[in-house]
Amino acid sequence: MMWLSGGFIFRRGESFYHRLDPRTKLLNSALMFVTTLLARSVFEMALVIGFMVGLSAAATVLKRVARTMAFTGLFSGFIFVVNIVFTRNLDTSLLYAIRFIAIVVSTSLFFITTSPDELEQVMKMFRLPRDVVFAFVTAVRFIPVMMLDTMQIMDAQKSRGLELEKGNLVRRVRNMIPILIPLVVNSVVRSGELAEAMESRAYGAVPRPTSLLVYRARGTDIGAACAAVALFALVSYSFYFVIPVHFP
Amino acid sequence: MGDILEVEGLSFRYPEAPRNAVSGFDLAIPEGEIVVLAGPSGCGKSTLLRTVNGLIPHMYGGEYSGDVRVAGSSVKDSNMRDLAQSVGFLFQNPENQIFMFSVERDVAFGLENLGVPRSDMRARVDEALRLLKIGDLAQRAPHELSDGQKQRVALAGVLAMRPKLVILDEPTSLLDPKTASELVALVARLRRELGTTFVVVEHRLDLLVEVADRLVVMDGGKKVLEGTPRDVLFGEEAEAHGVAVPAITRVQKMLAGKVGVSADRLLAPSELAAAVEGRGA
Amino acid sequence: MIEFMDVTFVHQNGVRALDGVSLRVEAGEVVALVGENGAGKTTLVKHVTGLLKPASGSVLVDGVDTRKASTAQLSRKVGVAFQNPDHQLFSETVEEEMSFALRNFGYSPELVQNRVSWGLELFGLEEYRKSSPLVLSGGEKKRLTLACILAWDPQMVILDEPTVGQDSIQKEKLAGTIQMLMSTGKTIVVVSHDIEFLWPMQPRVVVMKGGKVVGDGPARELMQDRELLDSARVAQPQLVEFYQLLERRPRAPFVHPLDAGRWVEEGIRP
Repeated sequence: MMWLSGGFIFRRGESFYHRLDPRTKLLNSALMFVTTLLARSVFEMALVIGFMVGLSAAATVLKRVARTMAFTGLFSGFIFVVNIVFTRNLDTSLLYAIRFIAIVVSTSLFFITTSPDELEQVMKMFRLPRDVVFAFVTAVRFIPVMMLDTMQIMDAQKSRGLELEKGNLVRRVRNMIPILIPLVVNSVVRSGELAEAMESRAYGAVPRPTSLLVYRARGTDIGAACAAVALFALVSYSFYFVIPVHFP
Repeated sequence: MGDILEVEGLSFRYPEAPRNAVSGFDLAIPEGEIVVLAGPSGCGKSTLLRTVNGLIPHMYGGEYSGDVRVAGSSVKDSNMRDLAQSVGFLFQNPENQIFMFSVERDVAFGLENLGVPRSDMRARVDEALRLLKIGDLAQRAPHELSDGQKQRVALAGVLAMRPKLVILDEPTSLLDPKTASELVALVARLRRELGTTFVVVEHRLDLLVEVADRLVVMDGGKKVLEGTPRDVLFGEEAEAHGVAVPAITRVQKMLAGKVGVSADRLLAPSELAAAVEGRGA
Repeated sequence: MIEFMDVTFVHQNGVRALDGVSLRVEAGEVVALVGENGAGKTTLVKHVTGLLKPASGSVLVDGVDTRKASTAQLSRKVGVAFQNPDHQLFSETVEEEMSFALRNFGYSPELVQNRVSWGLELFGLEEYRKSSPLVLSGGEKKRLTLACILAWDPQMVILDEPTVGQDSIQKEKLAGTIQMLMSTGKTIVVVSHDIEFLWPMQPRVVVMKGGKVVGDGPARELMQDRELLDSARVAQPQLVEFYQLLERRPRAPFVHPLDAGRWVEEGIRP
C-alpha cells in the first residue's frame, strides 16, 4: 500500500515537468512504456531508464521514483530468478527484470506529476462520458477525506475497548465490522450531500460544460515530446533494422 | 414587488413519512434582507430551505402543495439550471460541496456546468475569489485548507453564480467562534456590497442578531414566530421553541425600561453596560 | 488523575501539534479545554487514552504511563465521547450498541443488561431499546454515545465538542448531564468552542494555542484576560464582557443572566 501511494499518488510540484500539458505527460509516459517493450538490449533499456530518471530529477520527484524503483526491485528480482532458472540466459533475464522496473516507472512518472484535475482533462479528451469522468474525479478527491474518516472511526471504537489485533483470524475479521459499518454509513450520507450540492450548482445543466482550464502546447511541451520521440525512434530503429546480438 | 422570496401555504410531506415536514407555511422576504431561520432540531428548517432552491420537488419526491416563488417565478415550474443561478445554497459541511482539486477549479464548477464561456468564467471566478479574499488560495487542494477556508471556498463557488438569494445552512457549526464571527461579518459585507439576500439557519444567535433584519422561528413544520430579532427575543415564547436567547439579551430583558435601559432594540454587552452606567444607549 | 509532562507530538506532515505541554488534572476536577481549530486540543485528548503516544515527554493516567498500556485498558478509566456520533454507531439496535464496550471490557451478561437498562433510562432512550441507532435524531445520537460511555462507569469523562449541531433544548439536557456527572465526583474534560455553554459550569479553563498551553486557571479569572483570549482566538462570555465594562461591580463576574440583572437593579442604582 505504501509503495502504491508513494509511487502513484499526485503531489503538487512546481517543476517544468509538472507544468507540462497533461497530454504531453501522457504522450511521454506512453512512449516510454512502448519503448521499454521494444528495447532488446540491456544498453537500450539503460538508455530508457536513464532518460526517465533524468526526467524525474527535472520534475523534482527523483526521491519518490527511486523509492518506487527500490520496491519494484523486489518483484523484478523474482522475475530475474524465474527467468534465469528457465532460460539460463543472463542477458535476457536481466532485460526482463529491468523492463519491469521501467514499465512501473513510466506509469508512475505520469501519475505522480499529473493532478486529478489534469487527469480529468485527459479523460475528457478521450471523450469519456461526463458522469464517468466526474465520478473518477470525486473518488480521487475524497480519498484523503475517507482516510480521515477511517482514522476517526478507529479511534472512537478503540476508545470503546475494541482491540483490532486481538484473537484469531475469524475474530480479527469480525473486529472490522465496527469500523466498516460506520464508514459505509458515512459514505452513503456523504454521497447524498454531494448529490444535493451538485444539483445546487447546476451539474448536468448543459450537455457540453465548459472548462476554466485551457491547455496549450508550449515550447517546453514540444521539447519534452521531441526528446521522448527521438528515444522511441532510436530504439524502434534498432528493433527493426539492427539484428539483435544477444536475443535468443 | 420587492419580495425576492414568497412562500405561500407551503406543505410538504416526504414519501412514506407519517406527517408533513413543513405545513401551511407563509413567508415573504424583501430583497436585500438578512433573515435568520431558527427552531429546534427536526422542526422542518432543512426541508423548507430545500424547497427554496428546488431540491424539493425536483430531486426529492413527495406530497407538495402551495407555492414558493423566487424573484417572481415559481420554483416548482422552474428547472434546476435556472434555480441554481438565482438561489445559492451553502450546505452545513463545506467538505461535501468542494468537488475539484484546486480552489479556483471548484469556484468555477457551477459556471462550467452552465457552459459559461471561458473568458467570462475567468473574470467571474477572480471576482468571487476577490470578494472572499481567498485569491492566495486559488491553487490549493481541498485537503490543504482549514475549515474556515473551506467554508469561504464553498461560498465563493456559490457567489460566482451570482445568485440573488443565498441560503446558509448552519454555516458556523464547525467553526471556532472567531472564525464564525468573521464569516458573519463577511455576510454583512456581501449584503452591503452586492445587495444579496441571505437566509441563514443558525443556532448561535448571539453572532447573528446584530446583522439580521428578521428572525423567523419554526416548530413542528410551522412558522411560530416572525419579527425583528428584538421582537422575537423579547417575546415570551422564543425559549419554548428552542431559541437560544443570548445571555446579554436576557439581562437586557430584565432591565428593560429600568435604569435607563432601552427596550427598543437589542443591545450588545458594551451598549448595555453604557446604558446601565447612565452613559446613554 | 491525568498528568502531561513536557509532552511533544509531531504529526507525520511535520506539524508540531503539541509543544512542551505540561498539565495536571486532579480527580474530580471539571476542565474546559478551549482554543481555535488546530490549536492541538484533539491531539491532546488522543494522548490521554493512548490513541497517540508522545514523541517526547510522558502522559500518566492514574499513574500509568500511556506508552505501557493499551487504549482499551486506558479507556476503562477514561471514557472519550468523540464529536461525531456517526463515527461510531454500528449496531442493529440501541441496546446492542450500548453493550458493545461492556462486552469488550469483559462484563458478565447480567451486568451488561443492568448497565444498559440504567443508561437507557438515564438518558431517556428506553423507547428506542430495540430500534436502530441510525434512526435516532442528532441529539438522541449524541445522548446515546454518552450513555455508551457512562455505562462502563469510567472515572474520567472527556467530551469532544458536545454541543456542535445541538439546539438549545438539547444543550440544556447536556448541561444537566454534565451537572449530574459533576455531582458524582467524576473528572470531566470538555473540549468546546461554545464559551456560553461552558461559562455557567465555572470550570477550570485550559487555553491552547499552536500546540502550547497558554493559559490555565479558574474561568472567572481567565475569562477576564482579554489579551490572552484574543491572542488564542477564544471568545469571551457576554456576561464577562458586560461585567468588565461596569465601573462599580461585584468581586467576581456574573455567572447567570439573572445574577447580572439582579445586581444592576439592586446595586448600581437606588
